[in-house]
Order: sequence, then structure tokens, then C-alpha cells
Amino acid sequence: MSASTYDQLRILYRTLLVFATVGAVILSVGIVQFVYFERPGQESGIRAHIAGVYQYDPASKKTIGPDRSEFPRSDLFAAVVDWASVPSPLVVDARWYDTFGSMRGEVGPAHSTELTSEGVIPVEVPEGFHFVLPGRYTFVVERIQDGVPVEVLARRFILVDRS
Amino acid sequence: MITATTPPAADPESRLRPRRYGIALAVAALVVLALVASSILNYVFLDTIPGRTSLYGLLAVASITLGTYILVRSFNRDRATRRNHLIRAGVLIGIGVLLWLLVIDVFLYTQSAGPGVAAICALACLPTTAFGLLVVRRMDRNHKEPWRLVLVAAAWGAIVATSLVVWGETVWELSAQRALVPGPGLDTSLAFMAGILEELAKGLAVLLLFLVMRNDFDDVVDGIVYGAAVGLGFNFMESVSYMTNIYSIFSPEGQGGIAAGIQWYGRQVLGLFFGHATYTAYIGAGVGIARQLPAMRQKVLAIVAGFIVAIAGHFSWDAWVNLFPIPNTLFGLVAIHLRTLIMTGPFTAGLIALLLFGIRYEGQNLLDQLRKEAATGQGAILPEEVPVLASPWRRLRQRLQALNSAGLRGYFKVSRLQTAQLDLAMERWHRERKEIDTPLEAEQRLRERVIELRHWVPAA
Repeated sequence: MSASTYDQLRILYRTLLVFATVGAVILSVGIVQFVYFERPGQESGIRAHIAGVYQYDPASKKTIGPDRSEFPRSDLFAAVVDWASVPSPLVVDARWYDTFGSMRGEVGPAHSTELTSEGVIPVEVPEGFHFVLPGRYTFVVERIQDGVPVEVLARRFILVDRS
Repeated sequence: MITATTPPAADPESRLRPRRYGIALAVAALVVLALVASSILNYVFLDTIPGRTSLYGLLAVASITLGTYILVRSFNRDRATRRNHLIRAGVLIGIGVLLWLLVIDVFLYTQSAGPGVAAICALACLPTTAFGLLVVRRMDRNHKEPWRLVLVAAAWGAIVATSLVVWGETVWELSAQRALVPGPGLDTSLAFMAGILEELAKGLAVLLLFLVMRNDFDDVVDGIVYGAAVGLGFNFMESVSYMTNIYSIFSPEGQGGIAAGIQWYGRQVLGLFFGHATYTAYIGAGVGIARQLPAMRQKVLAIVAGFIVAIAGHFSWDAWVNLFPIPNTLFGLVAIHLRTLIMTGPFTAGLIALLLFGIRYEGQNLLDQLRKEAATGQGAILPEEVPVLASPWRRLRQRLQALNSAGLRGYFKVSRLQTAQLDLAMERWHRERKEIDTPLEAEQRLRERVIELRHWVPAA
């Protein structure tokens, strides 16, 4: 193998190693980002109580029927949270996320005692749409610290059918 | 092409071949195990298989049965005919595996909108993917890869890699959604999931090609071509999947076609070369550089480096794409393009730099070998042909001259001669570097083939 050939191959090899170093830095930033938002040691042991997820009538702003985990996309639905189950000093919120991870309805953040009048949290139809999007919805009650959600106190998954 | 059995090898002490095949077998066994697990999970959790896919399933079973039968029988045959039977068995088993994977893919990806919409989406993605493969193959200006291997790479990306990641991603996603706080933390976890699992699945194809078809996997340029081809195949199936899914979600609102069209543009036009093709091409670059490095430690490091860049590129897009919100104004159209350019552009630019350098490196060495072969006076490469063969443009001009004088037949004859001459130069290059395990006879056969072809084509 000639020296020039080896030098050229070495340049390619070293260039790739430089790129990989940049890649490793990017992945490290990702890990830092993950740890910032998913902080270790945040387990408080507190659990919120979700009374259920029900069909929702937006006109009367009341829930209808039994607790369900699956809805047709033509139905609106809402989660009912028993805020009394959450200790008052905590700042909390409750949110709906759709299948794409977009927020579709929330209450809070506030102290749980301030949310007692907002026990029914309906899912929102996206602007300009007639129905909710189908897919897997996640409802969470979160503990907030320094403006950032740090712990999930309760969670429910709901399936919205395509038809 | 090479059928001799026990002539002297270029490097008689090389232990690369058995070790490579052993690794290839181990990787293939792992893939088969993963696919078997995938099929069991499909059976357990996805209980309603549409009737149309049963047809593929039956064909798959039949192909694999027949292929296995021929495989078993082939070992009772003499050495001269055994190879042909092994090839037949391999082709049949390969078709069976592909059909079986198609069952899973059709079921998993196209059920949401129905076969009609899925077929239209697939048809819409075919020309763009074909264009991508054409461009990627043409990037190897000195020594183009055979279409069969480029298509095998794309098929792996489309069918095997997508099937491999389905269950891994499902398990990761469900576990993360049950354990993490929704929002940026969960999004970051899912970005790691996509980067790691998808690049590993695609990278396995590049690695297997390298291990099994090393004689067609010459250097960094070939690695980039095969890697990009795997990425384009994956992008094809992912585009069909997203388009059908989005169509089914938005069609009740009367926006299914528009939503699917936006997906098509984003993935098949804007992201054709910037997304999966770029990421997996880095894995190919790592494997291609490793192929020519002398020390095992460097080889491993180069391959790992390729994977790290690919995973990092993929991760950064998935994790940080939302940092560039697209406004609902006319500027949004510009912003979509800018976002791709800013986020994936640097990765693609780095890859192009590796590619250009690799082409130059390969070109210089081929020129060196062409000169050396011409100097032997054996007649396979004449001294006056060297500058023509070393220049893609002059080669093209020579072919076009043949087209003018003898039509398409003349064009293809000259093309075959040029390819055979470059094959010979490539073989010489690898032999000089002791990175080849085909026997020395192979080189002489290439030489004879060139001389045979030359009888049909007048010297330039």
C-alpha cells in the first residue's frame, strides 16, 4: 500500500471519527435534555384519582353514561378528576394529549384546591375540525415544579376509533 | 462469475472469508429470530388478518418449502451443479421471506385507509424512490454497483428493516408513555427510540451486504451507495405508511388527500435525500471505510462511528424539529424548506464531502491500476485507453460515439467492455492491498473476458 493511498484513507477515517464525535455530542445533549425534563428523584408517592372518562355534552357541560376507554370519533369525552385526592400544597394541572402528542385540553396549573370547580376536563376538537382526531389519547394529572411538569400523579389512555 | 474451486487465493493465509461468513450467519440468524418473534406477536395481538394477505402467506410457505427442499437435495449433487441448485434454493427462500414480510407490511401499514388508497400512495412514491435510487447509483462515477444489489438493499430497507422495528418501537413507545411525563422528556425518549432502532435495523442490511457480497462492496463510495439505497427503501415504506395513516385520520374532515399529499411532498421530495438516505449512508460510509482499513480495531471503530453519526442525525431531527415551528402564513412554505435545510443539511453536506473525497480516492487508485495493467502488455487495457477509462465523461463520450455509429447495440457493447475493464482494475486494486479472497484465477478470467469483449468492439 502506497503512503499516499494510506494517507487518503486515513483522512476519510479521521473525518468520519470527527463526525462521530459531533454525533456523540448531539446524543449527549439529548441525554441532558431528557434528564432535565424527566428529573430523577421526583417520585413523591402521591397519586391523584381519576373518577373516570365519560361521554361529554358540550351544551350542558356535563358527562353522560358510564366510564369508558373507547369512543367513536363523533363523540366528545371528558375526564373527571377527584381533586380532593391531591394534597393542597401541590401545584398541579391536568392535560389531554392526542395521538400526535399535541395538547387537546387542560386545566391548571394551580393548587389542587383551586381546581375543585374544574373537575370535568373535556377533550378539545382541533380548530377547524368537526370531530376529534382518532388514535390513542393520554390524559394525565401532573405535578408542576418551577413551571415544568415533573411527575405524573395519574394517567388514563383512551382509544378513539377511526370510524 | 467465479466458479473455480481451489486455485491459489490472493492472500492464502486470509481467514477473513470463514470469519465473515460466520458473522453473516449469526446476523442472519438473529434477524430470522426477530422476524419469528414478530410473526408470533402479530398472531397473538393482531387477530384479524385480511383475506388478501393470506395469499401472500400461502405463497411464502410454498416458496420456502420448495427452496428448502432444493437446498437439502443440492448437497447430494456433485460440486459442478451444486452451486446452481444452491442459488435456486436461495432465490426461492428469499422470495418466500419477502412475501411473508409483505404480509406483515400490508397488514400493518395499509389497513388504516384500505388497499385502494394504499396502492395509490405506493404508486405515488414509486417514481420518486426510483429517481432517488437512480441518482444514488450514478453517484458512483468510477465503478457503478450492480442494480440487483442496489435493489436488494432498497428491498431490505423497505420490507425487512421496517418489519424489524415495528415491535421494538411499539414496546418502547408504550413503555415510555406509561412511565414518562408527556412533553419534551417523552419526545426526547421517542427520538432516541427512532434513531437507535431504525438505524440499527437499516444498518444490519448494509453490514450483511458487506459480509456476504464483499467483492461488490469496494470502498467508502459503495458503502454510501448501498446505505442510501437502504434508506430510500425504508423511506418508501414509511411514506406509504404515514400517507395512508394520515389519509384515514383526515378523510372524514374532507382533507385526507391534502394531508397525504403534504406527507408525500415532505418525505418523497423534500426529505428524499435529506432524511433516511443520508442517515443510513453514514452507516455505509463507516462500513466502506472499515472494508479498507488494515487493523481490526480501526475497522470496528469506523463501523461504530458510522452508526453514531446516523443515530445522531436521525435523533436530532426527531427531537428538535419542533424548535422550528411552521407559521400558518405564506412564509410557512419557505419555513418548511428552511427547516429541512438547517436541520439535516449539515449532515448531508458532511456526507457529500465524504462521497466526493471517496470518489477522488477511488478514481486515483483505479487510474494507477489501469496504468499498471496497460504496462503488462496483456492486451486487456491498452495504454491509449487509460485516460478514457479514467474519466466518466470520456467514457460517456465513447459510448455515445458507439451509439452514433452502431446504435443501441454498440452503446451497450462498449458499456460492457468499459465495465469489465474497470472490474479488472478494481480487482487489481484490492489484490494489491490484500483485501480480497477470490483466487488469482479470477483476475485472469476478468482479463480474458475483457479480451473476449474487445473482439466485438473496436478499440477507441
